[in-house]
Amino acid sequence: MALPISYNWRNLFVRKLSTALTFIVVTVVVFVLAVLLSFAEGIRASLSSSGSRANILVLKPGSTAEGTSIIIPEEYARLSQTPGVARGPDGRPLISRELYVQTSIPRRGPDAAPANVAVRGVEDTAFAVHDEVRLIEGRLFEPGALEVIVGRAARDRYRNLELGGQIALGRLGNRTCRVVGVFEARGGAFESEIWAPLTLLFDAYARRFVSSVALRLGDPARADQAVAYVNGPAVNLEARLETDYYRELSAKTREIVVLTTILVGIMGVGAAFAVANTMYAAVDGRRREIAMLRTIGFPRSSIMAAFVVESLLICTAACAAGLGLSLLVNGSRQDFLSEATWTVLAYELRVTPRTLIAALATAGCVGLAGAMAPALRAARTGVIDALRKA
Amino acid sequence: MSGTDIVLQDVRKVYYKDRLEIPVLEGLDLRVDAGDFVALMGPSGSGKSTLLHLIGGLDRPTSGQVRVGQAELHRMSERQLTAWRSRHVGFIFQMYHLVPVLTAAQNVELPLLLFRMPARQRRQRVQVALDVVGLGDRMDHRPNQLSGGQEQRVAIARAIVTDPDVILADEPTGDLDAATSSEILDLLRLLNSEFGKTIVMVTHDPRAAARSRRTLHLDKGVLDREELHAATPTGAGA
Repeated sequence: MALPISYNWRNLFVRKLSTALTFIVVTVVVFVLAVLLSFAEGIRASLSSSGSRANILVLKPGSTAEGTSIIIPEEYARLSQTPGVARGPDGRPLISRELYVQTSIPRRGPDAAPANVAVRGVEDTAFAVHDEVRLIEGRLFEPGALEVIVGRAARDRYRNLELGGQIALGRLGNRTCRVVGVFEARGGAFESEIWAPLTLLFDAYARRFVSSVALRLGDPARADQAVAYVNGPAVNLEARLETDYYRELSAKTREIVVLTTILVGIMGVGAAFAVANTMYAAVDGRRREIAMLRTIGFPRSSIMAAFVVESLLICTAACAAGLGLSLLVNGSRQDFLSEATWTVLAYELRVTPRTLIAALATAGCVGLAGAMAPALRAARTGVIDALRKA
Repeated sequence: MSGTDIVLQDVRKVYYKDRLEIPVLEGLDLRVDAGDFVALMGPSGSGKSTLLHLIGGLDRPTSGQVRVGQAELHRMSERQLTAWRSRHVGFIFQMYHLVPVLTAAQNVELPLLLFRMPARQRRQRVQVALDVVGLGDRMDHRPNQLSGGQEQRVAIARAIVTDPDVILADEPTGDLDAATSSEILDLLRLLNSEFGKTIVMVTHDPRAAARSRRTLHLDKGVLDREELHAATPTGAGA
């Protein structure tokens, strides 16, 4: 008992202007939704792929991030007795002391706005502990040399970080270091960092402490035992699984999703009114046609369905357009200032299947919400009245 | 009563406007035998269109009985009336009421969409209906590509495509010139004489009414008089 889809489709072009305006409004809503969600998805993907379940990260008690943590040599020494720590081929325990500082580097692009980029001072054990870090260009820095390696995302997002580039490190910015290698880390947060020899940073920043210590466990299933030891009186520091640490940092993305939902909700209400306006105009302009269809035997439900389908056609087309536009930014590199570390995290905007589903659901809801009242009016059209006024 | 005779007994129809009672039909009795071609005439407000709507199941009487064939329209719900109309009645309107975005064939096909019918069979029936009205070669034309007379022919094809028992026409020539009106009336006569359709036609035009078998004159909601017509040859002019 349904009217043919060609009837709905062609009617959309009868009122070209209002249909086009509604199409544009819904397209913008879907585009904003898709971009904001791909923003959250990019950050979440970057942070959730950071760290390893075989590592525990040790910070000063009360610190929520490496940037605010200080572990002095005496505290670090106590960590060497932690149970379950794996050992490298040379028999040394896989414990990585790391100093976390920041430096300001201009972004790529015309405005060259400076960004706080994380610099991690590491020893050679760091590469065994963080085994996801893999050199993809150049070589590792030489101990004692003014050399650094950079994450792939950092190289792509900031200036002078390509192989052979030079950056100034140190409290006075007087240590000019050369980029000798580029690494990847499964798309995780390390890829937004610069890694330098620990001794270089000790010297350049006049530090005699580290920010964090990462311990590689022989058996990840026994992480609880190691965490309990570090948190206990023997060490009195604060340990957690490295993956948990990055998950906590990604809590920001939940705020983004909530704000996105609120923003898109408000925009969606506006869009639904635009759809309703268009559909009311369509119903009022086709009262005789509706009366004719009712006269020849189409039930109210068919009339109602016809207008709902028309609305959904506009919104589906707009959804496709909005998603199409969002694909233009898919994969583009952005950065995000973490409130926890006060450094920027470079990430890729990602339009995922979840974004597609959210966009379709939003467009569908806008289409349905906007169509309901006009479709009801159409279904309730008084046949005799409409025929008489013809 | 046999076939699709139309029988109205003591039918009253009252409309209300701002609590004001407006009687339109006052105890009207009417019988139209199956295969008849009846014209309804009368001044504006005499109840012609209301009577047509009652026979077509678009409205229900305030009191009295309306039977079309075996269907007791006065007892049927709106939903039942809607389903009944789709099977038993073809409507022709003064302003044609074609859907402007659909082709002639698609307009004619509309009533068939209410039936479970394969697309191929629907296409065949549409072709036959358009051939009957002489527009078999205009299937893909949109209403705005047709003349007024052609549009009304498409509307007639739409009315007959389901092979209804009864055709109800409300001023079918009211918007057409004399020559085109005559062609449309010829077509209605053909449907009546050759295809056995029962036709009830509302008209203000005495020449159009004269093409029917009989004319019923309404005045103030009652049948005033009846006028029988001799068989008028096809193409006699409106």
